[in-house]
Amino acid sequence: MIKEYRIQIILGLVVLLLAAAAYQQGGAEMALQGLTAGVRLLIRELPLLTAAFLTAGLLQVLISRELVTKWLGQEAGLKGILLACLGGGLIPGGPYAYYPIAGALMKSGAGLGVLIAFVTAKNLWSVTRLPLEIAILGFRVTFQRILITLLIPPLIGILAENLFGGQIETIREQADS
Amino acid sequence: MNAATLILWVIALILAGFAWKKSSAALQRGLKLTWSTFRRNAAVLVIAFLIVGYVAVLSPTELVRHWIGPASGMRGILVAELVGMLLPGGPYVVFPLIAVLYESGASIAAVITLVTSWSTTALLTLSFELPFMGARFTLIRWGLGLTIPLLAGTAALLLL
Repeated sequence: MIKEYRIQIILGLVVLLLAAAAYQQGGAEMALQGLTAGVRLLIRELPLLTAAFLTAGLLQVLISRELVTKWLGQEAGLKGILLACLGGGLIPGGPYAYYPIAGALMKSGAGLGVLIAFVTAKNLWSVTRLPLEIAILGFRVTFQRILITLLIPPLIGILAENLFGGQIETIREQADS
Repeated sequence: MNAATLILWVIALILAGFAWKKSSAALQRGLKLTWSTFRRNAAVLVIAFLIVGYVAVLSPTELVRHWIGPASGMRGILVAELVGMLLPGGPYVVFPLIAVLYESGASIAAVITLVTSWSTTALLTLSFELPFMGARFTLIRWGLGLTIPLLAGTAALLLL
C-alpha cells in the first residue's frame, strides 16, 4: 500500500514542507497563495496535458510492443544496437512498460549492448515525451538537450557491449532466478 | 491556448485518425489507455502542480541561482544530477517542476543535466529495473548511466 502510493507520499511531504516555508515567510496569506497559484497553473496547462495524454495513449496502440520485441530480439552487433536505439526512442510508456519489454528482449536472446542501448534511447530519445518537453520547457531548451545527448545511446551501447558483453549469460541467469 | 497546445492537439488528432483507420476498436483502446493513464496520474499531477505553485510563490531565486545558476559551474552540474535522480514521477510531473526551476534562475546547463539525470538514473525506476533485469544488469547500467548527465551537463557548460 505504501509502496503503491510512494510517489504521492513523497510529493505530498514536499508540498507540506513548501507550505510551511510559505507560512513562515508570509503567513497564512502566502500559504494560500501557493495553493491557488498551483491550481491556476494546473487549469491553465490542462488542455496541453490532455493532448499529451491522448498522444501517449494513441501511440501505445499504434506501436505494438510485440512487433518491437520481435524485431529487436534477433539482431546483434552494431546493427542491433542501432535498431535498439530506434526501438527505444519509439516505444511509448514509462518504466512500468519498457522494463518488462527489455526483460522480454533479454529472454529472447538480445545482447547486453542492445539492451543498454534500448533503455538509454528510451530515456534520451523518447519521441512520445517530446511534444510535452517542447511545450513545457520550450523548443530551444529541448532542441539543445537533444543535440547534446543525441549520440549517447548508441555510444553507451557499444561501450557496454565491449566492456561487459561477455557477462550476458550470467546476467540472464540471474534475472531468471 | 498557445501554439504548443495547438500543435499537440493536431498531433493527437492525426494519431486518432491513424488509429481509427486501423480499426475503430484500436481507437477505442487508445482512448481507454489515455483515460487509465490520466486516472493513474491525476493525483500526482495535482500534487506536482501545488509544488510548482509554491515554488513560484516562494520564488527562491537566490537559492536556485546559488546552487544551479549560471555561475555555479561544475558544482551546479553535480547538484543538478543529484536533484534529477531524486525527482519522482513521469514527464507530466517532472517537466513543470524543472520549468519552474528554470524560471527561478537555473542555468541552461543545469536544466539539461536535470532532464538527463531524471531520464537516465531516476532512483524510483530501480523498482522496475531490478526485478525485470536483475542486479548485475542494473549495476552495469547505473555504473555507465551515472556518467551520462555529467557528460551532458559538461558539454552544455562548454558549448552553450
